[in-house]
Amino acid sequence: MLRLINCQRATLLLEQQADQDLAREQRVNLWLHLRYCPYCNRYAKQTVLIAEWARTSAAARAQAGPVLSEAAKERMRERLATAG
Amino acid sequence: MTPTTPVPAQWPARFGDELYRFALSRVSDSETAEELVQETFLSALDGLATFRAEASERTWLFVILRRKIIDHYRRQARATHVGLDEIGDGGPTEADFFVPENGHWTGPQAPVSWLHADAALEQQELHDILQRCQERLPPQQEAVFALRFVEELSAEEICQELGLSSANYWVIVHRAKLQLRRCLEKHGLGKN
Repeated sequence: MLRLINCQRATLLLEQQADQDLAREQRVNLWLHLRYCPYCNRYAKQTVLIAEWARTSAAARAQAGPVLSEAAKERMRERLATAG
Repeated sequence: MTPTTPVPAQWPARFGDELYRFALSRVSDSETAEELVQETFLSALDGLATFRAEASERTWLFVILRRKIIDHYRRQARATHVGLDEIGDGGPTEADFFVPENGHWTGPQAPVSWLHADAALEQQELHDILQRCQERLPPQQEAVFALRFVEELSAEEICQELGLSSANYWVIVHRAKLQLRRCLEKHGLGKN
């Protein structure tokens, strides 16, 4: 059944839609909501951006960051030697 | 590629920095990151028999570290795990974003345009803000968000790892996104 959903419901459906196929009814309700709600339209774009940025920001940090201190490496070598 | 025989004593020098950076990109606390690397080496040593010579030693160590990171988030989420009915993590709830009577955005929370978001902030700045916003989430939300969007586990895998119902999982993801969105906006993304 076609019915108007609110923003709370629409944004939850947007999260679910990124992960799984929505039921036809949910899809239609979401589509209808997005036709008239500028805020949820923004949310739809922004939530995708946030997911993208989370990934790229972690990847960037993994490429360039501080390294292990020599002391830490030495501690690890010792632990490995005792454990082995 | 010539088959390699792992030499555990060389691991800290050969792979330590790279593994540490990776761990630090996920947990942001240097002590925890160091522990994760240490645990990775010890687990690898334990599992030397499972190492296949045709695989890369580096890849193998990264697989182990990634598992350690998932375990870390699981512990973090479980430590703050609460009952099914109330995901009372102390953080904001839907009522902080939507009018309880009708479920529409409350005035001040309604998303503003991020049209020039990319241009307004340097990439590095954006990454730093997002990281700080992630760290401000309640621990369970932070863990679920990281597992889904950084480690890219499926919703199903996360529910299994954390013992969450699907309904609770969606509440957590939704709340995490709502808060991150607001936090980013507060720190510069909405101003253009």
